[in-house]
Amino acid sequence: MKLTCLQENLSKGLSIVGRAIGTRTTLPITNNVLLTAEESRFRLCATNLEMAITCWIGSKVDRAGSITVPARLLSEFIASLPNDKVDIELPPKGRTLQLHCARFEARISGIEAEDFPPIPQVEGLTATIEASALRQGIAQVAFAAAADESRPVLTGIHCDFEEDRLTLASADGFRLAVHKTTLASPVSGKAAVIIPARSMAELSHLLSDEDEKVEIRINVQKSQALFKFKNLEMVSQLIQGNFPNYNQLIPKNYATRAEVGVADFLRATKAASTFARDGSGILRVQVTPGAELTPGKVAVSARAEEIGDNMGEIDATVKGETAKIAFNSKYLLDVLNAIGQGQVALETTTPSSPGVIRPIGQDNYVHVIMPMFVQW
Amino acid sequence: MTSWLTLPMINMDRRILHLDLDAFFVSVEQSLNPSLRGKPVVVGGQPGKRGVVASASYEARAFGLYAGMPLASAHRLCPHAIFIPGSFSHYREASAGFFRILADYTPDIEAGGLDEAYLDVTGLLPGFDSAFHMAQQIKHRVRRELDLIVSVGIANSKVVAKIASDLGKPDGLIEVTKGAERSFLAPLAIGKMPGVGEKTERLMKGLGIATIGQLADTPPAALKNRLGQWGETLHRHAMGIDDRKVEPPGEAKSISRETTFAADTLEEGFIKATLRYLAERVGADLRQHAKRAKCVTIKVRFSDFETITRQCAIPEASDSDQAIYEAGLRLLARAFHYRRARVRLLGIGVSSLQDPGQQLHLWDFTDEKAARLNRTVDQLRKKYGFTSIQTGQTRRLKEDYPDSPDRDGYRLHTPSLSR
Repeated sequence: MKLTCLQENLSKGLSIVGRAIGTRTTLPITNNVLLTAEESRFRLCATNLEMAITCWIGSKVDRAGSITVPARLLSEFIASLPNDKVDIELPPKGRTLQLHCARFEARISGIEAEDFPPIPQVEGLTATIEASALRQGIAQVAFAAAADESRPVLTGIHCDFEEDRLTLASADGFRLAVHKTTLASPVSGKAAVIIPARSMAELSHLLSDEDEKVEIRINVQKSQALFKFKNLEMVSQLIQGNFPNYNQLIPKNYATRAEVGVADFLRATKAASTFARDGSGILRVQVTPGAELTPGKVAVSARAEEIGDNMGEIDATVKGETAKIAFNSKYLLDVLNAIGQGQVALETTTPSSPGVIRPIGQDNYVHVIMPMFVQW
Repeated sequence: MTSWLTLPMINMDRRILHLDLDAFFVSVEQSLNPSLRGKPVVVGGQPGKRGVVASASYEARAFGLYAGMPLASAHRLCPHAIFIPGSFSHYREASAGFFRILADYTPDIEAGGLDEAYLDVTGLLPGFDSAFHMAQQIKHRVRRELDLIVSVGIANSKVVAKIASDLGKPDGLIEVTKGAERSFLAPLAIGKMPGVGEKTERLMKGLGIATIGQLADTPPAALKNRLGQWGETLHRHAMGIDDRKVEPPGEAKSISRETTFAADTLEEGFIKATLRYLAERVGADLRQHAKRAKCVTIKVRFSDFETITRQCAIPEASDSDQAIYEAGLRLLARAFHYRRARVRLLGIGVSSLQDPGQQLHLWDFTDEKAARLNRTVDQLRKKYGFTSIQTGQTRRLKEDYPDSPDRDGYRLHTPSLSR
């Protein structure tokens, strides 16, 4: 293997594939990055066995070949080099990678490429989607997936492909996020799979807002999904199991609907969260309809026993009756941060039935939060 | 090197009362049944059974009996003693009366169990010309209103007040005047020092320390070598210096129950039934305090007295018997994984207590059902007694403890359990 590339490109590529390096691994070689010199391209690849990221960078290849070396070492060394040409050489039948850049040089002993876990080629149902649409979808659902592994299906994002629609959903049991988006090209047939939320979150880091398309390929039998864009490929395992039938969990009606500005609601929620932190994270939300000359309002309050309490009020357009409902502050903060701007509607029925949050003017997103049962 | 920053001055003019009810459990029994007066009485259980002396009357103590002694040994030393199992609800009632009396004198009360309290009455003696007179009146009221006897120690620190109350027992009242602390302590045996148990006492004897005075004269560095920070603290206490405040109880930080088995056991069904019963008692307490817990701990003492604890967090803070028991079962498996030996004592407790507020689930209603069930069971038990309704898991305890007429819980073999 013998090639020349630019330090800047190599460093960027290594930091991209580095996102797939597992922190805790049972297979030591997954701490390595697989380097492969192909004709006129240099391929970098890393995996934590749940997902794999492959990145190609432009280079002048004199001799093909491949090797694996410790990813962190290589990445940190390359990042510290000046922006110049990097010469990389692996002597035939050798295992020590030699690096040259300006007046720096290094030797890193590696492990044969044959020992690296094979990165699957995914063939199957194929769809394309705008990168920005996919990114927004992931941002609005991934946080609602379960963090603990006790029910594996809940740590994933349910992805439902049908014609030109993709529905993303996640639920940790206490909240549910559903985002509908449009595919750039319709799929033939349909598929519903669960992709680990962790993989999807990494994917969204790699997606830019640029006008580009992402190719998605799903192979249900082999339990794999592939995302391909620019010079990148990400392959993820799917999670096996039955996802809850979430459509029936979204309330169809409400007794009270309050429309508020997201920024205002977020400020009141953050203010109250500082007090909720010392309790059980309980935020109390009270909705009061307006009268003839006064606008309706939403009050967000929290108290920490023996420490203090607070309340913040915001104007609201309220339909229906007075309402009281308590939420875990984290859940409310998460969804408001994910929506970010504009107006939202908070729909409630009783203090112990689910609260629904919908961005106004964006009817492709709905978020359901189960309240906390508290004494008022 | 001295710092210009000084710690808040220790007020050497404090007046602290330590009050300790004499032979508390026995005295309550005697006041309920005057025929027991003047006789050697032991509360704790029957001598044929396992367990320890919870309280012994002074007549029994004359035979060498003391609290904490195995019942069998107590019976050997004093075969004609009257052994009674005791009933915790009566003690709780008497204790509440005791603390009601104390509350008439100051709000600065620190309880040390049911029968013991520190009062800080510094500069707070309305209607009394001295702390001594206040103590006399408290003793008088406790005798008249509760038919109990309390021993009182008065000093400028907690440790000296406690030693004084202990020294005066029974029916004592000793005040250590300001400046006399060190000379008061000096002649006392080292074992009189609170916190000096058998082990420390042996270690001290090894250093040639037999009295508190000798402890005060020992260079603190030598003590620190052997006993660490605790050695320094003991040294300060021996000199009559103790700046600990009388602290009214804060919120409960943990709730736990434990019991010693009548015979060491490895029978899984019985151990689990007991664990379930203890978990139900802990859960009931937790709900009574309107708290939820994030953390569950079990304690297992094996037949050779090796004692281990195992702890875990539960994903959502809970106050349900079921959640506590299930966590307890997992911990029990871990304990047996560590060592599979016969169990002498089993305990379970919760900590990381949080304010109430149950996070409801979108589709899994087991927690809510459990909460409703527990609320109903709590109401029934409040009205008809704890054992009036049982879960299937604890059913067999009724046969294992046939002599439990007390509706308020199984009369197991350590009084701590029925609390």
